[in-house]
Amino acid sequence: MITMTKTRGLNPTTLVLIIVSIGLCTSFIRSVALNVAVIIGSLMYLLFLRVPFKKTIIILLVALPLALGSWLSFYFFGTEDRWHVAWIYGSRVYAYLTLALTLTLTTSAKMILLSLHQHLKLPNTFVYGVLAALNMFHRLKSAFRQVRYSAMLRGQAYHLWQPRFYLRLIIIALNWSGDLAMAMTSQGFTEGADRTELVSEHLPWWQYLLVVVLLVAYLWLALDNCPW
Amino acid sequence: MIDLKLEQLTFEYDDHQLFEGLNFQLQPGTFGLLTGPSGCGKSTMLKLLAGLLPQYGGTITSGQATLNGLPLGKIVPFQRASKVAMLFQHPSRQFALATVREQVSFALANLQMEKAALEKRVSQTLEWLGISHLADRQVHTLSGGEQQRAALACVLAMDSGVILLDEPFANVDAPGRQQLLADLKRLQAERGKTILLADHDLNGYRGVADRWYQLSKQHRLSVSSVNDLPTTTPIAPVKRQQLQTGRLSASHLRVTVGSRVLIDDGQLVIPQGQLGLLSGDNGAGKSTLFATLSRQHNYDGQLLFDQQPARRFPLKKWALTIGWVFQNSTDQLIAIKAADELAASRAHSLRPEYWTEQRCKQAAQQLGIADCLDQVSYQLSGGQQKKLQILSMLVMAQPVMLLDEPFAGLDADSLRVVIRLLKQVAGELQVGMLIISHQRVGVVDWLDYEVRLANHHLTLLEGDDHND
Repeated sequence: MITMTKTRGLNPTTLVLIIVSIGLCTSFIRSVALNVAVIIGSLMYLLFLRVPFKKTIIILLVALPLALGSWLSFYFFGTEDRWHVAWIYGSRVYAYLTLALTLTLTTSAKMILLSLHQHLKLPNTFVYGVLAALNMFHRLKSAFRQVRYSAMLRGQAYHLWQPRFYLRLIIIALNWSGDLAMAMTSQGFTEGADRTELVSEHLPWWQYLLVVVLLVAYLWLALDNCPW
Repeated sequence: MIDLKLEQLTFEYDDHQLFEGLNFQLQPGTFGLLTGPSGCGKSTMLKLLAGLLPQYGGTITSGQATLNGLPLGKIVPFQRASKVAMLFQHPSRQFALATVREQVSFALANLQMEKAALEKRVSQTLEWLGISHLADRQVHTLSGGEQQRAALACVLAMDSGVILLDEPFANVDAPGRQQLLADLKRLQAERGKTILLADHDLNGYRGVADRWYQLSKQHRLSVSSVNDLPTTTPIAPVKRQQLQTGRLSASHLRVTVGSRVLIDDGQLVIPQGQLGLLSGDNGAGKSTLFATLSRQHNYDGQLLFDQQPARRFPLKKWALTIGWVFQNSTDQLIAIKAADELAASRAHSLRPEYWTEQRCKQAAQQLGIADCLDQVSYQLSGGQQKKLQILSMLVMAQPVMLLDEPFAGLDADSLRVVIRLLKQVAGELQVGMLIISHQRVGVVDWLDYEVRLANHHLTLLEGDDHND
């Protein structure tokens, strides 16, 4: 049954709202201190929910070259205030990353989509389209193999950097999606029509309040007297 | 009672008229079998009855498809689904959700069934079909047959009166096919369902189907007596010829899929310069054997080419040693334009001195595809794609070629041209060819031997005395 197991922590919709609002502000506001605050806040939330420690560390390490790249390019090629700007952009990578991790490490794609449908009226066509795509993802691996092999049979090699390789994959995916759309229609799925909502989860009012409080606090700190 | 019919229906696909003035009425409570050669429009006819066409392509230029007097197109899917539902050829492409229970619930939620009743219906349905143990399994871990039964569970749960099935056994093994047929027969007998099933293979329907509709190559529908359905297909024998030596050989071959053994202690030699038939029931593992010989599937035992173990060849080299002509033509295509497809093969051909530009052109002309070479391959008809695919692979000229249903979808004339070309190339280039073909008529006379895959064993048939 499509029911939700009790979610730990905040509702996925709340998290999406926080990520979108704080994330958007982060891209306009130039403050290392606020970026660090976002990073610390996110990490504390993850720690509080006891997400797998090793996995988190690996993700953070993988992002290191990106952050470093950002830092270096602004430090060496920036025009003014290079030291400060380098740190803004370097820490921004981690601010975005840890913010997103609060969602991706604590809930599943299915829960996020269904929650957004319930609370923010995300259309069902989108919800089930994305779910279907995610469920087909593992099959892409065998398609990938098949495409490479069909090239080998003709004495050619398809490499990951060749556009025609992706063209073949896209054609395969288009075939799949056409078949799936027909099957879903045959199973009664109707765009824009009402369906039985199998999932209903409560989103307490204080979580909306939390989004507002976090956003106001962030903006107040940023605009009143922007810290370094 | 459900009254589903096509009235004087004319249907076009890309300016190409498929049906003209087609009339059909489904007889309630019957088990209908719809047969006909590939490309005759079986699938299209079922999709028209299911109301999926013209929604997903094509146009009805005159006439209509009606359900209880109402045009099908005017009925919204969630209302239609409780009357007519369909099972498709590719089992795995019917699931939007991860588990069987989720998918069946999804179908019922579409019908706006109340939650408590829905949960009960899901359990009851799975129990009725005897697949409760599959309820929470991930769909992609199920076999083709299990996936089709799960899809059938959706249809059954929605309580659709009419169940349309489009080649539902194409990707299902033999036991899976039997199980599914038994389910369908039980649905007809115990639940009064009307069933219409399209298949190109007539075997196993005697005593099961009570209506037999045939679509001709010209897209004309006729009704035949079910008493004419074959009890067992009369098998046109392959006359065994003196066999030459082979370069590819397998011994003590063991092939499994999951926990299921397909081939045990298999022996096989593919003689050079000759054409062989690989026969066996649906799902016996014929295509898997091809995948194994191409090293696209794991195996135990010995596989040798020129006395060298296959594993010693890099995969890239092996792909140029054993050619595999796929069952599905579009899987084989690597270029966009048809002409580029042939050019790509010519550029990397193993026998460029034989496949001169002149000879390629000539072969394309014989096959009747010379005029459509400037088109995009994906827009060619099924038959043209097949011929383009076969020619492209023949030009590669691997010393051993495995051909999986190369005649599917070809009319009699094309078939004759294709098999003559195969015979000629095999002889002149000393290529060893092994062919899987459901179709025997017009094929076996050209072949030199037959290998049968049955009960996990590969047997070289004895020719005349065995078959007569």
